[in-house]
Amino acid sequence: MKTHDEERVKELLRQALEPGEGSPEPSHDLWPAVLKRLDERHVQVPWFDWALLAGLVGLAAFFPASIPVFLYYL
Amino acid sequence: MNTHKHLRAYLAGIFLPTLVLPLLLIFVVVRLAYHVPIPVEQMLIFPMAVVPLLWGLWNMLWLCSYPHLHQPIGLHGAVLPLLLMPMGATLASSLGVFAIGSHGVVWFGLCFVPYTLIAPMFLAALAGYYLVWKYVVGFLNRVLGIA
Repeated sequence: MKTHDEERVKELLRQALEPGEGSPEPSHDLWPAVLKRLDERHVQVPWFDWALLAGLVGLAAFFPASIPVFLYYL
Repeated sequence: MNTHKHLRAYLAGIFLPTLVLPLLLIFVVVRLAYHVPIPVEQMLIFPMAVVPLLWGLWNMLWLCSYPHLHQPIGLHGAVLPLLLMPMGATLASSLGVFAIGSHGVVWFGLCFVPYTLIAPMFLAALAGYYLVWKYVVGFLNRVLGIA
């Protein structure tokens, strides 16, 4: 009787977890999508950050004595 | 990659300041080789001992506080000079590498900074820290899997 119950449970599980129809392979090549996703992760530098960098370079150029002071804090 | 997150945050934080250390070593070699009368040893205590430690701890603090505050790492890093600059100036003053004059301050006995330039330099430090933390430390945090 116990064995019969186990068989019944196995059968129910098989029915509940039927494999999907069709091929297990994806329908198309996923690699281009991966490459596109990686490209999207490239850093986009906003104009504000470029302006800050330009200000820093300008300060260092017009006032070189500030460079060792900045290095002291880095 | 979910283990030792704080250790990875510390390592990501100290990465850039420790890269600067070999550059500072050049000053030591030049001083010893050419007997340059600049107190390089006193100058190096702060950037070699204090700055990397604080950067690492600051990045750990960002990691701990981010789930609650969601603060951008650039802004978090831009706050660090508010802590570092008074500490650095105090230490430099006590070691004799920073002197306050009537028209400005003198760093390392060589670099005269007039008072009118202190505020722009402070803002520049905030901007520099913002950029470095946003792009360098942020990148390292992503590489090490903590951001």
